[in-house]
Order: sequence, then structure tokens, then C-alpha cells
Amino acid sequence: MADGKERNLKKEIDEKLHDGIMRDALSRFVDQYPAARLHAYENVDSIETLRDDLSRMKRETVEHIEEVADTFEREAKARGVEFYRAKDGDDLKQFLLRICEENDVHRIVKSKSMATEEIHLNAALQEKGLHVRETDLGEWMLSVAGQRPSHMVLPAIHLNRHQCAKFFSDELQREIPSDISYMIHTARKVLREEFLSADMGITGANFGIAENGAIGLVTNEGNARLVTTLPRIHVVILGYEKLVPKITDASKILRLLPRNGTCQRMTSYMTMVDGPTPVIRKKDGKYVEEMRKVYYILLDNGRLKAAHNPKLKSVYQCVRCASCLNVCPIWTLVGGHVYGHVYSGGIGAILTGLLDGGMENFAKFSDLCIGCRKCTTICPGKIPIPDLIQELRETYVAEHGLALPEKTAFQAILANRRIFHTLLRIGSVAQKPVQSGGFIRHLPLFFAGMTKGRSLPAIADTPLRDRTSALCAENPAQPVQKAAFFSGCNLDFVFPDTGVSVIRVLQDLDIEVCYPQEQSCCGKPVLGIGDRETAKKIARQNIAAFEASGADVIICACPTCAETLMETYPELLAEDEGWQQRARSFAAKVREFTSFVAEAYRRTGRKLPAAAGKVTYHDSCHLRRGLDIFEEPRELLQATGRQLVEMKDADKCCGMAGAFGVKYSEISLPILQEKITNIKETGADTVAVACPACMMQLRGGMDQQAPEIRVRHIADILAEQLPGKK
Amino acid sequence: MERVCKNWAEEAFDENLVREDFWDEFVANGTAASAEIHRVKDYAAAKELLLSLHAELQPAKIVAAGAEDSAVLTGIYEALAAAGSQVYTDKFAIAEQAPTADLGISTAEFGVGETGSVCIDAYSYEARIVGMLPPVHVVLMPAKAIVKNVTTAFEVISRVFRRGYAGFITGPSRTADIERVLTLGCHGPSRFIVIAVEDTAESGDA
Repeated sequence: MADGKERNLKKEIDEKLHDGIMRDALSRFVDQYPAARLHAYENVDSIETLRDDLSRMKRETVEHIEEVADTFEREAKARGVEFYRAKDGDDLKQFLLRICEENDVHRIVKSKSMATEEIHLNAALQEKGLHVRETDLGEWMLSVAGQRPSHMVLPAIHLNRHQCAKFFSDELQREIPSDISYMIHTARKVLREEFLSADMGITGANFGIAENGAIGLVTNEGNARLVTTLPRIHVVILGYEKLVPKITDASKILRLLPRNGTCQRMTSYMTMVDGPTPVIRKKDGKYVEEMRKVYYILLDNGRLKAAHNPKLKSVYQCVRCASCLNVCPIWTLVGGHVYGHVYSGGIGAILTGLLDGGMENFAKFSDLCIGCRKCTTICPGKIPIPDLIQELRETYVAEHGLALPEKTAFQAILANRRIFHTLLRIGSVAQKPVQSGGFIRHLPLFFAGMTKGRSLPAIADTPLRDRTSALCAENPAQPVQKAAFFSGCNLDFVFPDTGVSVIRVLQDLDIEVCYPQEQSCCGKPVLGIGDRETAKKIARQNIAAFEASGADVIICACPTCAETLMETYPELLAEDEGWQQRARSFAAKVREFTSFVAEAYRRTGRKLPAAAGKVTYHDSCHLRRGLDIFEEPRELLQATGRQLVEMKDADKCCGMAGAFGVKYSEISLPILQEKITNIKETGADTVAVACPACMMQLRGGMDQQAPEIRVRHIADILAEQLPGKK
Repeated sequence: MERVCKNWAEEAFDENLVREDFWDEFVANGTAASAEIHRVKDYAAAKELLLSLHAELQPAKIVAAGAEDSAVLTGIYEALAAAGSQVYTDKFAIAEQAPTADLGISTAEFGVGETGSVCIDAYSYEARIVGMLPPVHVVLMPAKAIVKNVTTAFEVISRVFRRGYAGFITGPSRTADIERVLTLGCHGPSRFIVIAVEDTAESGDA
């Protein structure tokens, strides 16, 4: 799959989705992980404080990484370490082969090191006739079977005991029963011989301390302790991102890494090696004590360049705990193999782009990040993983341009409101033959994957924009405030009735509503594929359209649009002379619908006539984690008098995520399936959402699988209860 | 025996950091990590405990580090030899015998309440292999030297860690690499036993 061969990602994904053994293992794991992680943190005062401490320390370190590296080198050398800085994998391999030759090395034992996997070190050593063995049990098992790890911490999580037993049997040339304890004790014996006969031990490092030149390793098996103890030579291969200034900084990593990585308060072994230490070995028939030779190789391979990029430097905050995978809705379905060669998940996409395989590889699977931001809530180093992926996409598009179909769709169509809207109107007519009710049920065959288990909505006959002049005629006579409504494409063309509800709920609060006709798409789909320049054009059009409205506040009932308007516009136009201030004033007026209304109800004491029934609420990723709004939607639902029942994993992505749900429908649908199951289990008659994209996904699923449960935007639920309205 | 610090109590400990208060948490977390933790009054009691463990395990070969610097350890190791085991305390003998030994004994400097870890000074080769190669590892440590958490542990370590080899051990060696089923004794020991001694004065009759 690697080695430059063209990959067929769709096919790989399909295979993984049909790997029942892996799917079972991953779903059990992700079910247990969140509670087990929290249990490990039960005896700390505040997880957030620990994350902040780690994140801050790492952020400060990268600011002067060269200086820290110099200190590390100086201190290590002062203790007798041979120090080498390798600019890339080839450089490192040449150096390492030289020291193998100089020291008459034939047998090597390794403990897990991502950096060596990144540069494919084992293959290079074996090619030169060296005997190399991984000693982490899972890594050893996979390497002898010619497989790749699918997770940084749990390398063999995709396998079951029977598959493992087959690898054991093949390697050891005898029948090994699939008894876990027996397999592990067999591996212990086999690897013990490897440890005792090795000339050289190679390790990575979980941290390198500049102050005293020490490196630290955490393992549960104890293999790193043996690799650093038994052989007469120890080689440490570490990347710049592992460096920390002080001894006490290591504790900032260690309070989080085991808890997030393996849900332990500490791993069995935490080992720090600082310079050469004694080793006793048999020489000419007699035991002698000598000092071990220690080499440190500090690997660059793209790291220093990343350190100087204002956004990408946050990869230095990664401690390789892999917890971002454990909560990733995509990884939990497809496993680690469909990502890059070495690093998987969202962080893997980034590390692959920066370190392994480069941007071409990154571009192939970077859209497997659904942007749900779940990983950002638990990452020990607080890395904004989806934002970095976004940054890399933009860099890629700036350098390589867009693929032609996307170029046509986005640059020619989306950037021109009239053409875009005209096409949408034509679409509403063109789809007629395949539409029944409000949903497209029978698309042509090549769209089959998109509609299996889910209906996609039709484009409405009359878009919201054609209905607003009549609606705005019903504005209050003596308004307390003037609001401009930014509908976004979904409320405009797919769910205009929800747009109507938004306007009615606002008018009920004595707010005058206007709908600037020049508004267009918020630009998120364009940004999503990395086309910043087109997004800027769209941003300027929208800002101008709303400035002309003279409104006090701009209301958005789509969290993704709201986030884009509030957070992305000012950042997009930050260096745009003349637009910088306009973007900031515009953004300052934007309010998300549910939080705005909840606040207004609280302030004015507005009470709606009570309704009966049971409702459950699905958190949209962008609302929950992008805008940190989750109490207000619930407050509004309770204000309607309904019983609010929480579903399991209410804040887990529904699988739509903009274009993702359509492009990767085979992954999107199993995620939706889980969501539907969780909704059904609440016994609610209504599932409420505050996001039109989630509404599209959930309605599509419910329409086919549980038509008795209504999927309603909170605006619709509120509007239903307004007196005198339908 | 080469050490990171000759005397941790004098050079590294600070009464604000290293205290007895965190004992209960140390035991709870250590036990959760499958460490077997015992608390005894003095070295004489530690010797009795080791002898009863000896009776249970009946180790043919014991590798024991640290005798050369400690009269009490020497006394304890002699008692184990008298109980019928081959006890190796010389570093070259340890190197030769450790791969086939049944029990390894060494010392730890202090415990960590938050995690149930013990901090070990393992600059010397023999101090390390006695804890890794035999299937059972026993450490003796001062019961009154416990720090609150990993942060305070590193404050202590940072006072003396200039070179060498140091770290934490938290329970026995383990793996969950196959089907996430926990198995003890992967590459290192399957049993990790802590004997915490209250009165560490070496004058006692050990």
C-alpha cells in the first residue's frame, strides 16, 4: 500500500468496513475508553489544569526549540553521549549503519519508536544483513507477520487471538494454541533470547530533557528497560518535538500520557536514562564491567520547518498517546490502516503531511477527518487537530490548486451567487422524477451508496429567499431590536420552512427581521477543501450584504455558518486592507439562534404554552465544540414543557459533516446507524437538533428506519407553540 | 554500587514533599496496579516477611542488589541463604545468574501516592537486572518516604538527577496487546512486591 504504489482508498475503506473482527474489537474499545479514561483521572483536581500546563510548556518550548536542542546536545555530550542530528531518514540510516559497522553490531533489539517507523528504519537495517527485532509484544507479532500497527498505543487492536496465534505459529514453525497467556509466555521466552544476545538496543523517547540530557521512556511490558540495560550499545532516536527544557517538565507529560493513552495512572515502567551507565558482559570467557556506549540521534525530517509555522507548530504538543483516535468516529469504524503508512487518525494525517510521505500522501486521506472536534476535547496537549488539517489542506490547494471538478463547482459556481442560486432552482425542477414526499428515494444507480439506509432531501420548490418579503411584512409595529437573518444554503433551499420558523420566533420576541437578498453561502464548503481565496470573495460579498441592512444583530440557525461568520471571517480577512475592521464588526453582531433566543426568553420572561411529549436532543459538533453551546438548546426544549431525555453519546457526530456524508457515505451511514439506535432507545417521540445539516442526516435515516420519530429543528419546535401561528 | 544519589533522604528529600501522609493513596493505587504492598516496623520485621515469602516461593536462586553498601541488606540476604537458597550479591555473579534466577531483590527510594509507583535508583547494571529478569521482584523502601503526586516526585528527582538511570516501577510487567486482555509478566516480573519499612535506622537487629 505504501512505497509509492497508487492506493485505492475507497476499496481499502470498504475492506475495513467488512472486517467484522476489527469492527467488533474497535467498537468494544471505544465504548469502554471514555469511562476508563475518566476513572484514571478521578484522583486529580482538574484535568483541564493538567492539559493547560502541558500545552503551555510545549508551546513555550517550540518557541525556542533550537536553543533547547542545543542545551540538550551540550548536556548529553558532557555526560559522554555521542550526539548526531539527522536531517532526514536517509541521513539517519547512514549514520546508524556506520556505527553498527564501527561497533561490530550484528543483532539489534528495539523498543517502540514512531520516529524509526516513520523513516522505515527496520527495512534498511535488515537490507544490510542486520538482525533486528521489535520487542513490544504487539509490534513484534505484527512485524514478523509483515503487518503494520493500526494504533500507536494498541498496535494489534484490529486482530483477535486466533489471528495472533497464526502469526505465532508461522514465525515459530510450530502449532501455537490461541491461548492468550500461553502466547505471551511463548513470546517472552523467544524475545528474552533476543535481549540477551543483542549487541545494540534502539529506543525512541517519550521525552528528552534539555537540562540534564536525559531521555525518558514509558512502557508496560518492560521491554524498554531491557533494551536500555542488556545490550552494550544504546541508540536513542528522537524527534525535536520530544524535547522539554527541565526535569520537572517531564512530570507534565507523565500525568496525562498514561491516563489518556492506556487509562492508567502510570505505566508499569517509567525509565529515564542519562548518559552512559555500566553494563556487565562476558568477554573472552570472563564477566567484565564497562560503560555502555550511548548515541542520541535527533531527527528533523520536517520537524524544524513545522516549528516555524505559526499554526503547524502545535504538532509539538503531541505526546503520541493516540487518544484522538480513541474518540474519532471515523477511526473507530475503519481502523488505522487506511490512513498514512505510520501515523493514523486526524493527528496521523497531520504528521504524515509534515513528516512521513509528505503532502501528496496527506491529501489522499486528509478528508477522513470529519471535523467533529471530539479529539480536541481530550487531547492532552490541546492540539486543534481539525484546524491543522484545514491549514494543511489550504497549503496544499495554494500549492497544487484544486482538482478540476471541485474547481468548477467552487470557483465558478459557489463564488457567484446568481449562478449558484440559479443552479439550485433548476435542481429543484430537475429532481422531480425521483422525488417522493420531501425526500429523494430512488436515485439513479450510481448514487445507490448515498441513499442506502438514508433518504436525501429534495431541494424545495420555493426557496426561503422568495418567501421572506411576505414574512417580513408581519414584523412587529414597535420592534425592540432589528435582526438580519443569515439563513445559509440549507435553510434557504432545503429546509425553508425552518427558516420561516426562525423568523416567526424572532418576531414573537418583538424583533424586526430582515433578510438581505444578496447573501450567499457562508463559504464553509470552499474552506473545507482548502480554497481560501474563493472563501475570501464570498466573505466580502456577505459582509457587504449585511452592512447594508443596518441590523443590530445577525441571526444564524446553522451552527456551521455561525462559526464561519463569527470566527473564520475575521481571520480570513485579517490582512485584507479595508476589510479587516468590517469583518470584525460584522462578526461581533452574529449570534447563534438557540443561544440568542434562550437568553431573550430568560431576559423577557417569555413563556410558551406547554406541550406534551418526550424529546431528546442531538448536539451538533459545531455547536457543541465549535461554539461551546449545549445548555441553551436544552433549556429551550424544557421551556416547551416537554420531557427532555438524554440519549447515549448525544454529542457524538451524526456522520453528515458537510460534504463528507455524501463523499464517504459508506462511513457516514454506520455512524448514523449508531445515532439512530441511541435515539430510539430514549423512547422520545421527537429528536431535536439545532443544525440543518444534522437535521438532513437524521431525517434521512429516520425516514427509512423510524418514521414515527420526528426530527425537528428547535426553531420549528418553538414556532409550533407560538399562539395564532400554524 | 553506582547510584544516581548516594543518599536520597539527605540530598533529595524535603519534608514538605516527602511525607507519610500519602501512604493510603500509595497503597490504593499500587494495589490497583497489581503491586503487593506490605508495611513493616523495621528491618527485622522485613527479614521475617522475606523469610515467609521465601517459604512460599522456595526460590532456588536469588539475585540481590545493594549488599555492598548496606549491612542490613547483607544480613537479610544471609538469612535467605541460610533458609536454603543460592543468593548472589556480587555484581558479576548477579549478571551471570539473573537470567535463570527465581527471585530478585533491590531497593526503592520513595513512593508516589497518586500512582502507587516507587522511584528506583538503577544506575548500576545489577540493580536493574534483578528487577527485570527474574519472575518475582521485591523492593525494600522507606515507608515514610511518600510524595503526593508525579509533579512532586519530579521535584524530588530534579534535585539529584545529574546522570545515570532512574525511574518508576508501578506494579509488575504487563501487556494487553492481544484482544486487550491483561496478562502480567510480559518481559519483566509477573509479581512485584513492595516491603515498606517504617524505621529505617540501620542499627536495628536485622
